[in-house]
Amino acid sequence: MALLKVKFDQKKRVKLAQGLWLMNWLSVLAGIVIFSLGLFLKIELRKRSDVMNNSESHFVPNSLIGMGVLSCVFNSLAGKICYDALDPSKYAKWKPWLKSYLVVCVLFNIVLFLVALCCFLMRGSLESTLAHGLKNGMKYYRDTDTPGRCFMKKTIDLLQIEFKCCGNNGFRDWFEVQWISNRYLDFSSKEVKDRIKSNVDGRYLVDGVPFSCCNPNSPRPCIQYQLTNNSAHYSYNHQTEELNLWVRGCRAALLSYYGSLMNSMGAVTLLVWLFEVSITIGLRYLHTALESVSNPEDLECESEGWLLEKSVSETWKALLESLKKLGKSNQVEAEGADAGQAPEAG
Amino acid sequence: MAPVLPLVLPLQPRIRLAQGLWLLSWLLALAGGLTLLYSGHLQVQLWHLSTFLAPSCPFAALPRVALAAGAVALGTGLVGAGTSRASLDAAQYPPWRKVLGPLLVVGTAGGGGLLVLALGLALALPGSLDTGLEEGLGTALVHYKDTEVPGHCHAKRLLDELQLRHHCCGRHGYKDWFGVQWVSSRYLDPNDQDVVDRIQSNVEGLYLIDGVPFSCCNPHSPRPCLQNRLSDPHAHPLFDPRQPNLNLWAQGCHGVLLGHLQGLASTLGSMLAVTFLLQTLVLLGLRYLQTALEGLRGVIDGEGETQGYLFPSGLKDMLQTAWRQGGVAHRPAPEETPPEEAPPKEGPPEA
Repeated sequence: MALLKVKFDQKKRVKLAQGLWLMNWLSVLAGIVIFSLGLFLKIELRKRSDVMNNSESHFVPNSLIGMGVLSCVFNSLAGKICYDALDPSKYAKWKPWLKSYLVVCVLFNIVLFLVALCCFLMRGSLESTLAHGLKNGMKYYRDTDTPGRCFMKKTIDLLQIEFKCCGNNGFRDWFEVQWISNRYLDFSSKEVKDRIKSNVDGRYLVDGVPFSCCNPNSPRPCIQYQLTNNSAHYSYNHQTEELNLWVRGCRAALLSYYGSLMNSMGAVTLLVWLFEVSITIGLRYLHTALESVSNPEDLECESEGWLLEKSVSETWKALLESLKKLGKSNQVEAEGADAGQAPEAG
Repeated sequence: MAPVLPLVLPLQPRIRLAQGLWLLSWLLALAGGLTLLYSGHLQVQLWHLSTFLAPSCPFAALPRVALAAGAVALGTGLVGAGTSRASLDAAQYPPWRKVLGPLLVVGTAGGGGLLVLALGLALALPGSLDTGLEEGLGTALVHYKDTEVPGHCHAKRLLDELQLRHHCCGRHGYKDWFGVQWVSSRYLDPNDQDVVDRIQSNVEGLYLIDGVPFSCCNPHSPRPCLQNRLSDPHAHPLFDPRQPNLNLWAQGCHGVLLGHLQGLASTLGSMLAVTFLLQTLVLLGLRYLQTALEGLRGVIDGEGETQGYLFPSGLKDMLQTAWRQGGVAHRPAPEETPPEEAPPKEGPPEA
């Protein structure tokens, strides 16, 4: 009892082969699209690897690139097979390979589905990487004369301006970090000495933020220093003031940017996966329809196509049996080798 | 009545002409499309910068004219490609023949005129940008503080975003901010002696400071941005005089925007020049093809030689013919035809 049998006459077979040929070439284009999406994501991650401690995982873009290349290769091969399927002489050279090719296609589809799932799940690891990276970035903000870290100030400033964010979770993160280098502090000033003494680690902490946190939408000129002191500025209440600085933290801003990027890539990959599954099913039907042509001389005859020769449970049992036989044949060979060696020894 | 610039066209050169024309027409369509897109891009850029350009500046006319010229060039290219393709096949040619006449007129007069106008504007208008930007930026600077005045409430945000995006400060330098009150009076403490002193020391009663807004800050500076008391050398200890330019953006927004817009206009000008050249070639080729095929009277694939020409007679003769035809058109048509037919009929029987 075959699974999902469909009758095919000559016209239907030809139509199936032609439709599959077209779908395969469209799928090659889809493979190129996935390749370019993976490349784009890789470049975007590279651009901001400074704030991710250079330790971000490139698994998703690499696998998208690999899947795109594989999809192009497999689908162009399948397109050639479908083109040759209408000519019995050309089809004869593909016949022995088709079954194993279909197994490879099924495996490819499973892997593609897993990659699409990974696109949605990578968000969690990115969050922890970003949290660590931004914390370090803010710590090294003042080290503009330390080789290897001298660009960190510029990177963080440009990041805060572009993504309209401030600090890790909010602007108060800057209060806990010394972001003004000791080179620009006047140690003869009493105020500086007091601040450094009041701190256990001897750091110069201020309730101020860098200029890149300023929000251009604010109606008043930006207030950067003495943010928690209402009396330092005329008509200012730090608890109700919302427009002065960017409110969002850079971790949330970057996470939402990369999250939406990867969600859309995951959605596109799922669509391509559905397309690939339909191509594999069509190819299976074409394969079985051409196999079951009873009289090779008469091209006009009808044939049947199916997905599986027997029902699902029977196919599964047959697969297990063949695996067991494979195991047993290894055992028999081993025993035979032992038996062969024993008489030689003895 | 000698034709102007005649060209003898046997079959093979006619085919070559049609094929070459087909290629040129697609190139013209491509050039027209690119001009269309680029002038759209320029229009979008101008729309973003509209606050900083005085309304009286005529520069805004350039992208609109270039848009129209590009559209006409695209249309000419597409129809030219279709016509030259059809001219190789006798069955397909008749419908295209009807379109060809009006196309040549529209293409020469409309398209050519628009292109010349657009080219002229692309060469002449960037000069007016200087005054337009000067005025526009000056107004924006003065209204920076007016965040609650209707009509000017966006000046602060737009100017900050301009300085952040284009990496510039002030009109010609950061000192422009010293001559303008950019802190709104709403945020000035009337009881503060320093504020009162500053306002009284000034003829117009403006609160002027030697400070700049945050958007002038340069992120490449190694030290946190110094925005206030910039003219006092003793206010900021340890200020390295060897790196004065790194603290704020050194360029003025006038120079940056002028360079940006002039660059866009010159690129558009070169695209228009290329499109003009291609359009001239295509229209000339189409005219020769049209007149050559008219001479064959429907037998397009015939081996015969024909003559292609630009105009059937010299300019004077053409004007006279047009004048006569215009005059004849005023008389009623049916009365006219029988007397004209009668003399030729009488001719042959006599002979």
